[in-house]
This record gives sequence, C-alpha cells and structure tokens, in this order.
Amino acid sequence: MKIENTKAQMRKGVLEYCILSILKNGDAYTSEILSTLKSAEMIVVEGTIYPLLTRLKNTGLLTYRWEESTSGPPRKYYVLTETGSMFIKELDKTWSNLVTAVNQVISTKPTSNE
Amino acid sequence: MNRTININLGGFFFHIDETAYQKLRTYLASISKSLSDDAHGKNEIIADIEARISELLSEKITDSRQVVSEIDIEDIIVIMGQPEDYTEDEEAYSDASYSYKRNSSSGKKLFRDGDDKFLGGVASGIAHYFDIDTIWVRLLFLVITIAGVGAGILVYIALWILLPEAKTTAEKLQMEGEPVNIDNIEKKIREEFTNVSESVRNAANEASEKIKDGASEFSEKMGQTFSAKTNKNNGLQDFLNAIGKIAMVFFKILGKFIGVLFVISGAAVILSLIIGGFSVGSLEFLNIDGGFINYPDFFYEATLPKWLLSLSLFTLIGIPFLVLLVLGLRMLSSNIKQFSKITSITLLAIWFMALLTIIFTGVEFGASHANYGKSISNNQLDITKKDTLILKMINNDLLYYQDNLKRSSRKHEVAIDGELMVYTNDIRLDVKKSNTGYAYFIVQKESYGRSRIKASKNAEKIQYEYTITDNEIVFDAFFLSDLKNIFKDEEIDITVFIPATSTIYFDSSVKNFLSNVKNKGNIYDKEMVDHHFKMTNTVLKCTDCIAVSQRNETI
Repeated sequence: MKIENTKAQMRKGVLEYCILSILKNGDAYTSEILSTLKSAEMIVVEGTIYPLLTRLKNTGLLTYRWEESTSGPPRKYYVLTETGSMFIKELDKTWSNLVTAVNQVISTKPTSNE
Repeated sequence: MNRTININLGGFFFHIDETAYQKLRTYLASISKSLSDDAHGKNEIIADIEARISELLSEKITDSRQVVSEIDIEDIIVIMGQPEDYTEDEEAYSDASYSYKRNSSSGKKLFRDGDDKFLGGVASGIAHYFDIDTIWVRLLFLVITIAGVGAGILVYIALWILLPEAKTTAEKLQMEGEPVNIDNIEKKIREEFTNVSESVRNAANEASEKIKDGASEFSEKMGQTFSAKTNKNNGLQDFLNAIGKIAMVFFKILGKFIGVLFVISGAAVILSLIIGGFSVGSLEFLNIDGGFINYPDFFYEATLPKWLLSLSLFTLIGIPFLVLLVLGLRMLSSNIKQFSKITSITLLAIWFMALLTIIFTGVEFGASHANYGKSISNNQLDITKKDTLILKMINNDLLYYQDNLKRSSRKHEVAIDGELMVYTNDIRLDVKKSNTGYAYFIVQKESYGRSRIKASKNAEKIQYEYTITDNEIVFDAFFLSDLKNIFKDEEIDITVFIPATSTIYFDSSVKNFLSNVKNKGNIYDKEMVDHHFKMTNTVLKCTDCIAVSQRNETI
C-alpha cells in the first residue's frame, strides 16, 4: 500500500466539506476555489475537483451563475443553495466531533494490560 | 517548422502548434473516456475543464501572437492531473440514484433490438433481457440450428414474428431493463442525440475537408478559369462516397456471413478433433486396439511414439481452425478479443513443431519404402519323373476367413499369440522347366526398407509356410509380416521347376494364384486347374484338355 494513496484518500474524504466551506464564506468561481484548495495543499492536481463540483451541483447542494469578466469570457460562479447551507451546518458539527474524536484516539496511550 | 492551428478554447483564442493540438485533444478525449460512467454531467465537466485550461494558458501566453507549444500543454497536464485523477471513487460516492439501476430487472420486457441486429434483432433482444453479450445468444441459435437440423431457424423466425421491435425510447429502456422515468428517457435521448450529431458532424467535417483539399488542388492545377469544374469534382466525390458507403454495408453483411461460416467450420473441425482425439486416446489408454482405429499410413514404421504423432496431427489441423474460429467470432462481435501476441507466437511455435514432427515422420516413411529387397530360398523336391507333382494352396481360416482362395494385395491385421501381424494373399505361382534334371522350387519374398540390406532383412522376416508330402506340395495361401509393414507392397513369388517329361497337376485351390504360366495352346491360368500338364522341352503342355480351337467351336 502506497502512502500517497492513503493520503489522497484522507484528503478526498473531506474535500467535499472543504469546497462547501469555501462557498459558505461567499460565492467563488472555479479558479478561486482551486487556488484556495491548492495553497492549503488539499489537492495536488486540479482535475479531481471538476467531477466533484458537478456532482455537488447535480445533487442540489450547489448552483452557479455566470458573471461577466473584464479579462475574457464570462466566469462560472458557484453558489451554495438552501440545502447546501443546511448540509454544511450538519457537516460542521460532524467535523468538530470528528476532530475531537480523532485527537482523543491519537492521544490515548494503550493500557498496559491489553 | 510546424503548422499552427487556431482554436477556441473556453472562449479564448489560441494559436497552437499542431503536435501540441494533438496532445491536448487526446488528453481531453481520455478525460472524457474516464468520465464516461456518469454521462449526466460529462459535457459540463469537459466544458469546465476546457475553460480552466484556457485560463491557465492565457496566463502563460502573454503575447497574442505567441504559439502554444507542446511543452505548454505538458505543463497544463501536470497541473490538471492524469485522466485517472478525474475518476471519482465509485464506492465512496455511490448515490442511491446510481445503485438502483442494477437490481431493477423486474421492469424488463422482451423486445427485438433494431439497433443491434444481424437479421431481426431477436438475439440481441434476448441478450438484453438476460443481460448477457449478444454473441452467446447468436452462438446458441447456431448450435440449435446445427444440432436440431434447422430447429434454430424455425425458433428464430417465430420469435421474429412474435416479438415487437423496441421502437420508442420507453420500449428501448424497458428492453435494456432501465426503469422508465423522465430522467432516464432524457438521458437516453441525449445519448442518442449526441451520437447522431457527433457522427453527422464528423462526416460533415471530413467531407468538407476533402472537398477543400480537392478543390484547392484542382484550382492550383487548372487555375481560376476552370473553377466551375471543381463543383463537378465535388459532386463526383459525393457520388463515390455514397457508393463507398453502400459497399461498406454490403461488405459488412458479407463479412458477417463469412464469419458465421468460419465459426461453423472451425467449431465443427475442432469438436470432431477433440472427440476423435479423446476416443483414440482412451482406446489407446485402455489398450483396445485393432479394428477400431485406422492410423494414417506413416504411423506404422515411425520412431516417434504414436501418441506424439496423434498430438502433432491434432495440433497441425486444430490450430488453423482455432484461428479461423476466433476470426469468425470476431467478425460477428467486436467484443471478442484478439489473441495476444504471446498466445499467437506460442500457437505458431507449437504448430511449427507439429509440422516438423509430421514432416520428419513423413520423410522417414518415404525412406522406409525407398529400397527394394528380396530373400530367396531354394527347395529340392525328392520326386521321380514318373510321379505326378500336385500343387495345392491352403488358407488358415482361423486366422482370416475368406470365401475363396484368391490373390489380393489387401492387408489385414490379425492377432497371433496376442501380437498383431499383417496377413496378405499376394502370392504368385509359376511353373517353369528345370534344366538341372531335378524338380525344385524357389520362394522369393519381396519387401522394402530404408536400405537394400534392411529391405532384404524385412523380406527374410516374412513368415511363410508350405508342406511337402510325397508328391504333393501344399503352399499356404497367405503370408504374415510385422504390423509396421502394413503399407509396404510385400509379396511372394513361387516358381516350381520341373524337368522335361514330368507331369504336374494343378489343384483347383491354386486357381487364383497362378501367374502367367506359359503353356502350349496358351491356356488361361484359371483354366489350367483340374488338369494334368506335361513339361516339354520348353513349356508345359496339357494332356487332358480340350484344345483351344475345339473349345472355341463348341462355344
């Protein structure tokens, strides 16, 4: 088993949550989402993001609007929908629970009689 | 120097190098392929990707006259990731909407599939119903047709008449087992539409390119004054294209037909080879031998074992037909994979080995017949001139029963003390004048072998018996030889020499063995039996026959 694969799997699991979180702070177009995720080293290659965005849009968590750009063709801005906002609230809770749970697991030392 | 192409990528205009363009195109195509699982948002995703690539490129290309190079595209691919990176993890994200596709066979109905038909689309309809590949259903029909003497044809025609063709989208979905709802119908229609529009677009592009090429070439040659003629040329091209398309359809049908023939002949030969090989093998294994199997000629005197020769013969015939079978299957269905390189090379090598084995044995067989040899034995007869020598022939009916004593070059396998031998009647009997004053006879055995000495030894080994009692010689009407000699023309010539004035009597049993016995009056061999002959100074003379001339008159 390659360590890279495991890392990628770990990131992939929370990628959805990250995208929704970015959009929670305001509408964003693809390149903005990408640069945020890349600077945080959440993704290595950009390709991963496109099927994910489309799927989130198709399940009704996201929608998009076209916005004119000064330097080129119109840009696709992604917007969080009503369901998306509710969804992210749920995920926020889950995430904080998860972080506490994982931290607890990591910091717990195994008892000697086991 | 490279050609450049102008492209519109995500709303931006680019000059792009031809090699770079090809690279970008294959990249996008392979992404599209890896996305094919969810046709839903495929085009949208591709559009997004194109927009992003154009954005990245426009960051690189600051001067609008600059050309996008191969290196630029490679950089883009590094940023965007390999096609595999675009696939989503199915297990992690499989939604309810994706998983219910599979276990909804309840809504299936049996239709004929007009889109995938060879004759009426019956087989493909059945294949959709059972969710298997069409080729198996077609093969099943073939097998039923062959095994049931045409029953498959009747069943097919009945189904053709009874089953409706899936014409509407709803029917097609029912046939393929997908639930009929708005979502799926829309998907189906879109799929079909993109298929059609794509092929139309491709054809149109191709045609226009050709026309352009042809036109430019033509105008270059002829100059502008003849520009009217280019139109004619295009018309002709269109016409030729149409003919080409018709020919394609024709060859497709012909190809399927040939494919069916290939499959039938290949399967039949291989099946019979397997059955034949299996029965020969099991007979050999159970030690049942004899009349059941007729080995080819050259099996008999081979140094290589029979099983190896059988196997070689099997592969020598089987492999070409196996290739034929696979070829036929491939003609019927594009899903059948070709032999891999390793498999084909292995098959070829095995085939050549088999060929060499057979050639070697064939040469060996030929050599074993190359030289003629004989073995002669001389036997003095202890009789006086007054005695009448009686010649008889006798068969051993326990060995091989024949209705009448008759010379024949046919060989028969007979078992003697548990060993197989060859039984033959190829014996010639002649009577000549002895110049020594004594009576004697010569038995000459003839055989063939790799060398003259071997041939003579083979001849010596021929088992032949006769008995002499008083003034009577009883020859065996047959001789025995080793089984390996079954395809050699072995024979025995017996010549009885008697001195002048002695008398000889031919018993009726020698009737069919006498061979051109010279006599006064030229009596036929077959008419010499049951008569007495006296040796003159040259040839025999009948003492109790009706003269030929007289006989002719009586008739």
